[in-house]
Amino acid sequence: MHLYIQIGELQLPSYSLMIVLGLLTGNFLVWILGKRYKMMFEDFLILEAYTCLGALGGSKGLYLFVMRDHIQWDRFFEPEYFSSLMLGGFVFYGGLIGGVLCFFLAGKIHRIDTGAFIRRFMFVVPLIHGFGRIGCFMAGCCYGRPYNGPGAVIFPENSMAPAGISLFPVQLAEAVCLFALAGILYLASLKIKSPLAVMALYFALYAVLRFVLEYFRYDDAERGGFWLFSTSQWISIGIVAALALTVPLLVRREKRSVRL
Amino acid sequence: MGIVSLILGIIAIIIDIATLGTGGIVSVILGVIGIIFGALGRKKAEGRGIATAGLVLSILGVIFGLIVYIACVACVAGVASLV
Repeated sequence: MHLYIQIGELQLPSYSLMIVLGLLTGNFLVWILGKRYKMMFEDFLILEAYTCLGALGGSKGLYLFVMRDHIQWDRFFEPEYFSSLMLGGFVFYGGLIGGVLCFFLAGKIHRIDTGAFIRRFMFVVPLIHGFGRIGCFMAGCCYGRPYNGPGAVIFPENSMAPAGISLFPVQLAEAVCLFALAGILYLASLKIKSPLAVMALYFALYAVLRFVLEYFRYDDAERGGFWLFSTSQWISIGIVAALALTVPLLVRREKRSVRL
Repeated sequence: MGIVSLILGIIAIIIDIATLGTGGIVSVILGVIGIIFGALGRKKAEGRGIATAGLVLSILGVIFGLIVYIACVACVAGVASLV
């Protein structure tokens, strides 16, 4: 629970340091495993770069949409206000959707076999996300509900979480679940041949995980939602519904194309 | 491809240093585009050296940009954290 990590003279923000550490770890694993599978690391970098651009646009776009009632749109183009909006926040699901779209766009533009990369390296996504959640814990954002059981944490005054209250460490719980998900996806990539199945497995498991963990979060006031569920829970429901509708059709089509 | 990557990588790092965080988003975007050009350049037989230099500088630009930008976004400014 430290907003900053001191390395010598340097004071580095722990949240972004964890994201960068996650990205470096993920890329290192792809580089090592890519050699074994005889896949070009440059192709991965291209796909990753497009995905980052899509994720950045998607997460910021959905943030602006969720916060639309609180944004002073007449001041949108004022440099200072625009800058504060850009520094305002992200929505993970927006990033996920934007990133996925741009990933496939990159495959089309540069003629890269996206399927092979999905099958082999889908596990990198929850791995990096898990590092990000540890960063959340360090900064105190995305905090959990008041709780006094084992593992309860009390955040200090300078963190984003309410100070002095015993809270459930939901960020660490999610990080552990995401690392487990990364392990499951890696093992699945060794057994399952279909990239579609690996991707569907990730989306289905993450949607369920996120839906459940939302109940343990306490930062509801800062986040959007309507009727019974939060925005993220609605998106989780949408993803599971979309998978239930599309996966059987796509699997049938995949089987037919294999037979031909 | 390699030269474009090199230029974008250098600009990204200059923005990181010059703006000390406020221009982080710009340097991340330029650095990411630099990575695309650098990776494309490395796939070609000619100019692999410049492409590699561009790729490395772009990656550094993105890393520095991310450290300062995400810090402001998610933790310090924190209008609303929806990560």
